Amino acid sequence: MSVRTIARKDLADASRSKALWAVTLIVLLSTAGITTLLAVTSDMPAGEVFSLSFQLGGTMLPIVALVLAKGAITAERESGSLRVLLSLPPSRRDVLVGKLLGRTALMLVATLISGFVTGFVVLTILGGTFGLLAAFIGFLGLMGVAFVAIGVGISAGSSSDSRATAVAVGAYMILVALWNLIQSAIQYGAVELGLMTEGSAPAWMKLVGLFPPNRAARAAYRNTVGGQLFGTDPFASVWLPVLVLLAWILVPVTIGYLRLRDAQIG
Amino acid sequence: MTGPAIEIDGLSKRFGDVTAVDSVDLTVESGEIFGFLGPNGAGKSTTINLLLDFVRPTSGSASMLGLDVSKDRETLHSRIGVVPENYGLYDRLSGRRHVELAAKLKDADDDPDELLDRVGLSQEDANRAAGDYSTGMSQRLALAMALVGAPDLLILDEPTSGLDPNGARELRDIIRAENDRGVTVFFSSHILEQVEAVADRVGIMNEGELVAIDSIGRLRRQLDTGAQVILDVDRKLERNLGDIPNVRDIDVDDETVRGTCVEPAAKLRFIDRVRELTTVTDVRIEESSLEDLFASYTGEDTTDSQTETVVPGGVA
Repeated sequence: MSVRTIARKDLADASRSKALWAVTLIVLLSTAGITTLLAVTSDMPAGEVFSLSFQLGGTMLPIVALVLAKGAITAERESGSLRVLLSLPPSRRDVLVGKLLGRTALMLVATLISGFVTGFVVLTILGGTFGLLAAFIGFLGLMGVAFVAIGVGISAGSSSDSRATAVAVGAYMILVALWNLIQSAIQYGAVELGLMTEGSAPAWMKLVGLFPPNRAARAAYRNTVGGQLFGTDPFASVWLPVLVLLAWILVPVTIGYLRLRDAQIG
Repeated sequence: MTGPAIEIDGLSKRFGDVTAVDSVDLTVESGEIFGFLGPNGAGKSTTINLLLDFVRPTSGSASMLGLDVSKDRETLHSRIGVVPENYGLYDRLSGRRHVELAAKLKDADDDPDELLDRVGLSQEDANRAAGDYSTGMSQRLALAMALVGAPDLLILDEPTSGLDPNGARELRDIIRAENDRGVTVFFSSHILEQVEAVADRVGIMNEGELVAIDSIGRLRRQLDTGAQVILDVDRKLERNLGDIPNVRDIDVDDETVRGTCVEPAAKLRFIDRVRELTTVTDVRIEESSLEDLFASYTGEDTTDSQTETVVPGGVA
């Protein structure tokens, strides 16, 4: 009851923020725009264009999700409205879960709009199945939710909005912008330490490649489209990347909750 | 209702080396209006934060309406109304939306417009986003949210801040009306007149300790501050006044004679004695102010602020 009320309040409040919509719109228009450009100018099949578009979305949507989510708790903490909410019956957990649901709904709306616009463009120009579109939108959506959860977790665990922003930017840099570099560094280090031979790809190294939510989502999409829903190789499967995504939804929020539970709301 | 509305038992809170609240014991009975006084940094807000489970105690415990402030907070918070310190509103949501939110979360079926009207916010105000509200309007809205669900206990942290004198009077009327309904009111303030006007009893905090709990009248008597009698005389006293029972701090100069009278009858004795020696041209009596009372507990010198000199050209 409390959770739903808070989620609805948050949706009403956040969806009235013009800045939020402006950022979302710019990102979505650029994603859809670049995809359209690709679809019109190249002679790639629809599946390939979707894949490139997914990669683009995997770079752009995480920043939208993090910006949208990182203030979920800290902004209320700084304005003092969290004190009002916590003076009422809802517990800190209710507030956190309500906020998570509210921001998730907002992110899903943004992703659905962008996914449908992009998908519509691709399907109209190049043709292709709706199954392709469903997988495209579905995993893009799941990735968005994972980044919202990371953002809300960061927000719950931070004592100020500026700190939450810094941690969110850091998370984006590590998970999205710099992951190629980090992966190479890990690979190089592992070879140096004799943990693996050069050119080989042990399972744990593959897992490193699958670690960030955007990588996991892309793998899930590729593997779905590749028709390996029930393959024996976990890295060619859909379930492993989906499991990684679910972990990204649960773990940061849980850590954030534990920190918020013990925080001084002064 | 039976049993105390608030029961605080050996409550302490340390932040690192700083002891914000130092083993406070306090019982507020049902139906009371209790004023919680103290200078800034005395530990009032931390005590209220402990009561609201915003902060966890280092030791000790507290309960309200017989419910533990931490373990039973959800049940407890559906029965109390709170205007917390440094509260914030949702800038983009209307005033009515705020009251509706509180009603939903408290599972109460109050009419938002009725509550808003009660705290003096018009229909037009109710439709506006809270971000456009003045401080006084925000304070009224926060109070409306606190009144949702007919609470048994109201906790108001500095409720008069931001209110003009008219608003402060309206707030006192609401506090009295709620109290008539049987509601216990616990409110903190540093504005002494506000507290004196409505509170049955007061508690004074200083440096984390509760230094006094009593009615204002009894506190004044306990303090033995008395009244200062100032007599204008037309010629200086030639002889010493000597000891007069219950009159102390006698001070004589060319034009005036002053003495502090601890009990009412001493005033007349004092005046009579002076008149035996000289002619009294005027009599002035200054009751000890609440500020003096407050200062005597908190060690704060308030005389400076009363005789503040005005900077020529106005205050920047």
